[in-house]
Amino acid sequence: MGVGGMSKTTRLRVGFDVGGTFTDGVLMKGREVLAKAKSLTTQDVTGGIVEALDCVLDGSAVDLSEISMVSLGTTHTTNALIERRNLNKVGIFRLGAPATTAIPPLTGWPNDLKETIGGQELAYIIRGGSEYDGRDIVPLDKKAIEEACKAMKGKVDSIAITGVFSPIIADHEEQAEEVVRSVLGNEIHVTLSHRIATISLLERENSTILNAAVITVMQRAVQSLKAAAADRGIDAPLFIVQNDGSVMSADYAVDYPIFTVASGPAASVRGSVYLSGIEDGVVVDIGGTSTDVAYIVKGFPRESSITVNIGGVKTNIRCPDLLSIALGGGTIVKHNGDDVTGLGPESVGYNLVRLGTSFGGPLMTVHDTAVALGKLDTRLDVFKTDFVTAPDKIAALSRPLVENAWEAIRKTIEETIDKMKTTGEAVPAIFIGGGALVVPKTGISGVSEVVSPDHFEVGGAIGTTIAEIGAYAEGVVDLDIEDRKEAIAEVTEHAKDNAEAAGAIRSTVEVIDVEEIPFTYMPGKREKIRIRVKGQVL
Amino acid sequence: MSDPRSNARAILQEWGVKNFRVIDKEAISEITLGASILATGGGGDPEIGLLWTYKVIDEGKEILMIDPMDVPDDVQTASTACLGAAIVLTEKPPSGEVLNLAMERLAQYLGRSIQATIPLECGGVNSPVSYAAAGELGVPVVDVDGMNRAFPELQMTSWVTHGVHCSPTVSVDSRMNVTVIDTGGDDVLAETLARRVAMAYGGISWIATYPLTGKQVKETSILYSQSIAWAAGRAVMRARREHLDPIEELLKSLKKERNVDGFRVFSGKIVDINRDFGSETNKGFTLGSIVMEGIDDYKDQTATLDFQNEWLNLRVNGDILCLPPDLIAILDSETGEPIRTDIMKYGYRGTIVLIPAHERMRTPKGIEMFGPRHFGYDLDYVAVEGLNKHRR
Repeated sequence: MGVGGMSKTTRLRVGFDVGGTFTDGVLMKGREVLAKAKSLTTQDVTGGIVEALDCVLDGSAVDLSEISMVSLGTTHTTNALIERRNLNKVGIFRLGAPATTAIPPLTGWPNDLKETIGGQELAYIIRGGSEYDGRDIVPLDKKAIEEACKAMKGKVDSIAITGVFSPIIADHEEQAEEVVRSVLGNEIHVTLSHRIATISLLERENSTILNAAVITVMQRAVQSLKAAAADRGIDAPLFIVQNDGSVMSADYAVDYPIFTVASGPAASVRGSVYLSGIEDGVVVDIGGTSTDVAYIVKGFPRESSITVNIGGVKTNIRCPDLLSIALGGGTIVKHNGDDVTGLGPESVGYNLVRLGTSFGGPLMTVHDTAVALGKLDTRLDVFKTDFVTAPDKIAALSRPLVENAWEAIRKTIEETIDKMKTTGEAVPAIFIGGGALVVPKTGISGVSEVVSPDHFEVGGAIGTTIAEIGAYAEGVVDLDIEDRKEAIAEVTEHAKDNAEAAGAIRSTVEVIDVEEIPFTYMPGKREKIRIRVKGQVL
Repeated sequence: MSDPRSNARAILQEWGVKNFRVIDKEAISEITLGASILATGGGGDPEIGLLWTYKVIDEGKEILMIDPMDVPDDVQTASTACLGAAIVLTEKPPSGEVLNLAMERLAQYLGRSIQATIPLECGGVNSPVSYAAAGELGVPVVDVDGMNRAFPELQMTSWVTHGVHCSPTVSVDSRMNVTVIDTGGDDVLAETLARRVAMAYGGISWIATYPLTGKQVKETSILYSQSIAWAAGRAVMRARREHLDPIEELLKSLKKERNVDGFRVFSGKIVDINRDFGSETNKGFTLGSIVMEGIDDYKDQTATLDFQNEWLNLRVNGDILCLPPDLIAILDSETGEPIRTDIMKYGYRGTIVLIPAHERMRTPKGIEMFGPRHFGYDLDYVAVEGLNKHRR
């Protein structure tokens, strides 16, 4: 590694966090924030990131060649799925007939999403798949796949293949992929379910189809971000934060975009822990349109158990357990006279500067409430505007209404935090995000203290730059011969080696998942042990 | 008679039964949630049973539930269920024809048509499956079952402990293979054979079993088992909507419906899962044990649970807190969703709730057939109320 000390301490990183309203950017040198910026999130997401990049570079005189990492917490895939925008038409193959036909693919999906990706007519249940012990249910019907591919030629952008028991034996999925490529060509993207998730056919199939639906969205995002970085003379690898808060290479992310559905919130949690030093408590990330609350234990977000709902579809992707509510700086305060009748869910978003009372607009928002109560006295440089340009309009707001609104906001936050807590004891709360300025931070019961650390308004973007490298290792053991605990310990060491090789500090590497998959079709008591670890980046 | 909608109603009309409950999607989702909580960690993926029943309802087939006391003595009923390892079902849902095929062949073998379904157990799969089958066949569902929980073996029912048998049982798979098992009064042998058949089929089978007369249903079932599950599911769903503690609401519901006290005994996260791999195909069950580390009020405590499809027993810091046939549920503390043996993962968090088994499951014959000694523990059965006296 040579004399790495010097370059490591001066190593520069650029990080971005895409929110509903703002895209945040930071330029970091070690722990030091050299520059920070907010730009408006654009419809294509990428435009906002490029703008934020220009802003942080603009404000600093650094040698671009010293930038060693560009990282991103993004909502590209989530937005596309929630808004049903830019999704691929997906050719769906399930290898499982004559079993599994009682519940065809896409059952239980919201109709609009189903239609957007091409619907039932692109879904086929093919004879094939495996039994638990590795036997074929029936031989794979390659002919049927070939014919289906001919029928869907020109109508699909991407293919999702899910075989019964593929996490144990993936042969049929791989053979099906070959047939697909022989008809539809090598360019078409194919997602195989055994690379996406584990046992549980319907949820894994859903996850696989969703992944196939957002392939192009992620490909375009990565391409344009790489181009934008290259244009500006930055020659550094691009990383994307994945659902567990660790980072993955963008080249990997283009094949597995579904692993980024919680990318933004995961980055915020990591940033909060890093900036505050608090490892147990709640993270309240307040943006312009929504607030995400996560519960952190030992520095990591608590995971959802059972199933994770993405865009109305049940999946078995592992994700942080997040509670999102429609409350942000731009959220509209609905009222009848002095009585508050509701907060949102509508938000004026980035039109705050046109529509909010503080700027002479017609609507009262959460931001305006804070301004009226004098809570916003400091100007944040990242917002390229003053917090109020029409003080007379603010002064004209009814005082009881403003106080009622403040109380309604406080109560909403208190209730949301309470829902996420698993303990009756008061816990610390970390408030971050651009909206952290405009909400109450006192009188919240169940919270021991509210911390808004330095740079809280770009906490998510900072979180991406300190995110850890995730790595894994697999090993096959025969439990008739080997001791299970020793086998797990051995694979864990391999996983740590891999994390270290990828740039993690070994002493910080910890186990985040232990998965054991049996090979019951082989003699003895063999199983595959798969261990995921992550550790801090050097 | 081919319209199943008129068929179930026609049967009730013939019996002179005017009271019934129409099971819609909301009802089946509540029943299934309650049943999967009572399923004691087993019972399979409720998603599969639910989506299947939804599909039957969407096809316009009506599902009607009736009071067991309204079933005439001499009519033929039967149970239909999935038998095998839950993890296999989670990965390999059936074809749509298996229930019809099994019931049809059982009726053929008996030489009598089947006029009502009786759910076998409370479980995420087998509860809704009874309703789906009733809808498919155009017959009513009776508000009973054979366990008021889930159990790993076919003979572990109040039906057997009260003198009726599971034979003949018809076992089919998605490839339309059919096996008839008729062992007369030897229910344990019927279970052994049914399990072997399921393993040969690839881990799971679909059975039509326990052909009971109306009189037998009334005398030997767990009466109103469906209503108990329904109330439990409704209570937990209401808790979610109104942000109440789902576990508290569940315990209140059980108190109201059954007049029993359940116990909240532990909260923690799963830190080790030791699966007896291969058991699905060698033995036809999901087998193993888990360790949970306590959190919050239970910090520094360790819980261990053994499972055979269902949770079998619970020890906390070495003390036994629950033995079969009493019920153990590990529930997500916020949602009340049960954590099942087939899908649990390292790191999952949950609260453990213990529920006394139904009195018809606690007879001396019941303790002999599905008490601790049957599962290989060298321990006498002590009721969960006795093991948790200090928690009152």
